[in-house]
Amino acid sequence: MTPAPTGRRGWLRLLLAQAALSATAAGARDAGLDAGRDPKRDAQHDAIGPAAAPSDGAERLLDNQVLPGRRLQFPRDHGAHSGTAIEWWYLTGWLGPPGAADAPALAQPMYGFQITFFRVRSPLAAVPSSQAAGRFAPRQLLMAHVAVTDLAGRAHHHAQRLARWSGEETWPEAHARHADTGLALGPWRLRREADGPRSRYRCRVAAPEMGLALDLTLTSTQPLLLQGDQGFSQKGPARAQASHYYTQPQLAVRAELGLAGKRQVLAGSAWLDHEWSQSLLPSDAVGWDWMGINLHDGGALTAFVLRRADGSALWGGGSHRPKGGSVRAFEASEVRFSALAWWTSPATGARYPVHWQVDTPLGRFELRALLDAQEMDGRAGTGLVYWEGLSALHDGQGQRIGLGYLEMTGRAGKLRLGLSG
Amino acid sequence: MQQRLWWRLMPLSLAEWRHHPWRHAVALLAVALGVALAASVQMINASALAEFSQAVRSVNGQPDAVLGATSLQDGFDDTVFATLATDEAVALASPLLEQDLPARREPPAASAGDARDAAAAAGAQAQREAQALPGSQRLRVVGVDLLTVGLLTPDLVPSLAISPTAAPTAAATPDGPDTAWGRLAADRVYLNAAARQQLGLEQGDSLQLLGVHGWQRFTVAGALPAGGAPLAVLDIAAAQTRLGPAGRLSRVDLRLVAGVDRERWQRQVLGAQPPPGVRWLRSEDAVQRVSNLSRAYRVNLGVLAMVALLVGGFLVYSVVSLSVAQRLPQLALLGVLGLAAADRRRLILFESALLGLLGSALGLAAGAGLAALALRLLGADLGGGYFAGVAPVLHWPWPVLAACFALGTAAAVLGAWWPARQAERLAPAMALKGLGDADGARGDASALPGGVLLALGGLLALAPPIAGLPLAAYAAVALLLAGGVVLVPVVVRWLLALPLASHQPVALLAWRRAHFARGTASATVAGVVASLALSVAITVMVASFRSAVADWLQTVLPADLYVRGVGSSPLPPGLVARASALPEVRLVEAGRQRAISLAPQQPAVMLLARELGAQPAHRLPLVGDALPPQPSLPAGVVDAWISEPMVALYGWRPGQRVALPLADAPGGALQLQLRGVWRDYGRQFGAVAINRADYQRVTGDDRFNELALWLQPGSSADTVGQRLQALVAGEAALETIGTQTLRQLSLKIFDRSFAVTHYLQAVAIAVGLVGVAASLSAQVLARRKEFGLLAHLGFTRRQVMAMVAAETTAWLAAGVLTGLALGAAMAVVLVHVVNPQSFHWSMPLQWPGWRLAMLASAVLVSGMLAAAWTARRAASHHAVLAVKEDW
Repeated sequence: MTPAPTGRRGWLRLLLAQAALSATAAGARDAGLDAGRDPKRDAQHDAIGPAAAPSDGAERLLDNQVLPGRRLQFPRDHGAHSGTAIEWWYLTGWLGPPGAADAPALAQPMYGFQITFFRVRSPLAAVPSSQAAGRFAPRQLLMAHVAVTDLAGRAHHHAQRLARWSGEETWPEAHARHADTGLALGPWRLRREADGPRSRYRCRVAAPEMGLALDLTLTSTQPLLLQGDQGFSQKGPARAQASHYYTQPQLAVRAELGLAGKRQVLAGSAWLDHEWSQSLLPSDAVGWDWMGINLHDGGALTAFVLRRADGSALWGGGSHRPKGGSVRAFEASEVRFSALAWWTSPATGARYPVHWQVDTPLGRFELRALLDAQEMDGRAGTGLVYWEGLSALHDGQGQRIGLGYLEMTGRAGKLRLGLSG
Repeated sequence: MQQRLWWRLMPLSLAEWRHHPWRHAVALLAVALGVALAASVQMINASALAEFSQAVRSVNGQPDAVLGATSLQDGFDDTVFATLATDEAVALASPLLEQDLPARREPPAASAGDARDAAAAAGAQAQREAQALPGSQRLRVVGVDLLTVGLLTPDLVPSLAISPTAAPTAAATPDGPDTAWGRLAADRVYLNAAARQQLGLEQGDSLQLLGVHGWQRFTVAGALPAGGAPLAVLDIAAAQTRLGPAGRLSRVDLRLVAGVDRERWQRQVLGAQPPPGVRWLRSEDAVQRVSNLSRAYRVNLGVLAMVALLVGGFLVYSVVSLSVAQRLPQLALLGVLGLAAADRRRLILFESALLGLLGSALGLAAGAGLAALALRLLGADLGGGYFAGVAPVLHWPWPVLAACFALGTAAAVLGAWWPARQAERLAPAMALKGLGDADGARGDASALPGGVLLALGGLLALAPPIAGLPLAAYAAVALLLAGGVVLVPVVVRWLLALPLASHQPVALLAWRRAHFARGTASATVAGVVASLALSVAITVMVASFRSAVADWLQTVLPADLYVRGVGSSPLPPGLVARASALPEVRLVEAGRQRAISLAPQQPAVMLLARELGAQPAHRLPLVGDALPPQPSLPAGVVDAWISEPMVALYGWRPGQRVALPLADAPGGALQLQLRGVWRDYGRQFGAVAINRADYQRVTGDDRFNELALWLQPGSSADTVGQRLQALVAGEAALETIGTQTLRQLSLKIFDRSFAVTHYLQAVAIAVGLVGVAASLSAQVLARRKEFGLLAHLGFTRRQVMAMVAAETTAWLAAGVLTGLALGAAMAVVLVHVVNPQSFHWSMPLQWPGWRLAMLASAVLVSGMLAAAWTARRAASHHAVLAVKEDW
């Protein structure tokens, strides 16, 4: 009896869902909601390597919780929060010829890219080390996706990787550093280093099976943008349905892209999200539609809605920060996504709106996918299926005012990245 | 045209077969027997290999590259995994820890939460108790990364429900067994069908595995699709922490990125010389290794098949000779009617070819049946007991089967060659008058052709093995046999050249007749010569082998009791002291055995670190003398004695200094100074013996996994064995065996595996005797007129019979002598060529004189009885009338 690919997909999805479920329980315990347990003892079971284990247990505990009012501290909060169920570092942007990013309003993007590192906490993370120690202890799961949209070639190339992680930061083959952004999954790497007040990210992902290699250097040009309430981003009507979420918009990109045997040096602009949570989606949500746009005027616009199965909006949010200004967070009622045109994936049969009307407190915009076929079909590996693509934001006059990424999840069956809890 | 002619002549052939169905049936069956034996051996082997390679594929998947351990017991450090997993040419790296561990069932504890119906559970419990086998069984246990293993090896992905009827036992808790993460839990194990059957376990049952930390309890949480031998899978983390050894792997399967040049990449990623303990493997190596393992039985049965086939060939010779003799008038008539001489030869050959084709076809069918039966009864591993209830699919290795078929047909055609020549050479007019006695009239048989055949056979015996098989030696045996049979008339001449003392007329007549008609002798006793020679050869070989094994057992088992750890796990460190403290124990020596794989296609070599003492010759059955110790051996170089296969398989020679890969030795290899070669019938694929003190000094490893115990006189090995088991109960599992039992067991196994040769000898000799009877009948029929004349001259029936018996005895004596001599020559080839080439071990030649004498006299006596019976028929009154026929 050979398991069909669908069986494997089902398994991985299940795995992710279970991770979220159990981590929610763990989070509840950590928050002291479970009176019968000693939160400290549970925390000690998080097999964090000695290099990362902070001396102060209370602070350690705080790192593993998602709480309103918790002040994010950097560079620590650039690193992993392995006590939480789900975490990701999400990097998107566009690339053009060198110098293209100097005048973004005139830039003609050649490529879009998306690189995401996921960390999922295993329910087995609390297993005593006598039962699971060493290199392969399945305490965490690391996943990564890379996708490159070739606008000239009208093609979308994507690849994925998956590995277990024992929680030990010194294993070269898979880890997520706690002190700062430092991710490794096989040969794939994403690392942050401080450059004075700025952040510099270096990223290398190569998927030779797709003929794809991407070397990126991304330098921050603006301060971090804390989403929601000082980085506490509510994702549902209940207060517990939330994540810690910050964004690094308007990253200046220098890229070396290898595609189909051709190497190109490119430049562009990117967006980085880092988000961690115990439970992202309320149970009656099936997915979300989200956009993160680097506005040509230097501003950053975020908007999202969480959908019910019938397509109605359950929750929403977003923010706007003008260049040099302060952040305005949107209320749930202030954001509306309305589909104007649809595209059906020939691979999965899922239907995705590729032309949106987005209403925000900043005004009404139109968001157009620069290529319809930007579906991330991870059925053969991580099991995740979502649409993630380079899109352009237009104002009421049809003028392009920004470039960024549109993300649509839960449209090929309920999203199970554990985000759905 | 020619074809049409033979088909027209078919009725003649059919009539002949109809008149003498039994005679031809025996020839047909002899050919069929040979073909059946050869074909079934090949089919069983092909099926076993196919089954195994499928199992290998099932367990190994189809990786592009495999990094394996040089020592299967020790594995390698898993830091290598990081190097591979972070390489961009690697699409997927799958770590595995593969071990053979003792496994035992544990009766499920009565749990309050058990939802199953109590009565049903009790019934199932009783049923399982009944199936329970005492003690533990070996189980292949593979730790894999259950997250990614499906991408490379789908057959190792557990499915949860074993059977639709199995009740769901666990609640759907987040880490319950029915969740994805739950699969990775450290207390879960997954069994394939064969393992569940072997252990009598179902989902939810408990299974105990003996790892480095002692017995560990697991829950059977699901099924594996992998077929083949019993197999248990668990997560790699659990395998490392609970079963051990921690931080070690035995294999990393890799899927490489498309377009990567595997060989070049392998050299780049770990360097031209991979780090100690690891080696690159190819997935087909495992199959090759098993093919090497099965060589022993293939060679054995191959020899037997050849015996049957050769005897079949000679039987065809006898039967066709007889048939030609009987049909001389018929053939002569055809000749007179215009059938050319060459066509007469072709007619005979055509008939024999038909016989051979029929026999071969029958043989193939019988072989298939035999193979199917053997697979059903013994399994594809021929008795390993792995596939109980799972009958492997019969495979048809067509090219080999075609070769068997061709050999059978060729044997028949070759057997008919001389009689066909006889049919060609007959003078039709003479033969029509009954005077065409083709033999006797011709000149003396020359010793040249036979001598040439013998010489060729002798030369071929010196040839090296072909593709690791003693094919040249087989050909040599066949040539020797053919040469011997051709030489029978010469032997008859030598025997009868002596003047006869008696002048009694009957004796004189018989003597003269035997002497002058000696050309016919070959036909008469060919079957006897062939079967006797082969029986002698096999008897001598088996006797030599058995006595060599008995001697060897004496030398390699000097102690009274042997103890070893079940599985590869070392024994508890304090065991030596505790065993020495037992009052019955006089002396305890500890030894360390490690399996080290030197070449990917070959099964592992054993490194034996034992107390060899100052005189290794007392502990090792040395072949020849050992070299004296070198006066100044550099530090780190260790004296070593190698078993014979090391010489044959790896070309090692005494006097050399070689490196044996060993991860924990300095530089990743043990430097050995080879001092001698010893005989080892226990490990066909090589062993290296060194002093344990040297081993400890160089590797720092003072663990041991075997003990040899010398007991006080009068104490029982079994009792001490049981006390030792009790000493370590719960902490390790021991296998203990007394030396007496071990010796008896070894020889019993030996005898059992060679028992089939005795039956085959009997069959061969019976077939040979049928040949004698058939040939004599032919002679007698051809000489009806001669007998009639003798009767008219006043010979009594008794006297005619006595004459025929005497003639035959002379020929039989010549045949037996030739057979003995030939058998001796062939025994030398079997012992000194076939065995070393197939098994890489030598043995001293032993002549079991008594058994050979028995064999020879049995053949002589039964041959004379056959002759007497034939002569009796010959001297019937028909013969008297026969004289009138032509007059």
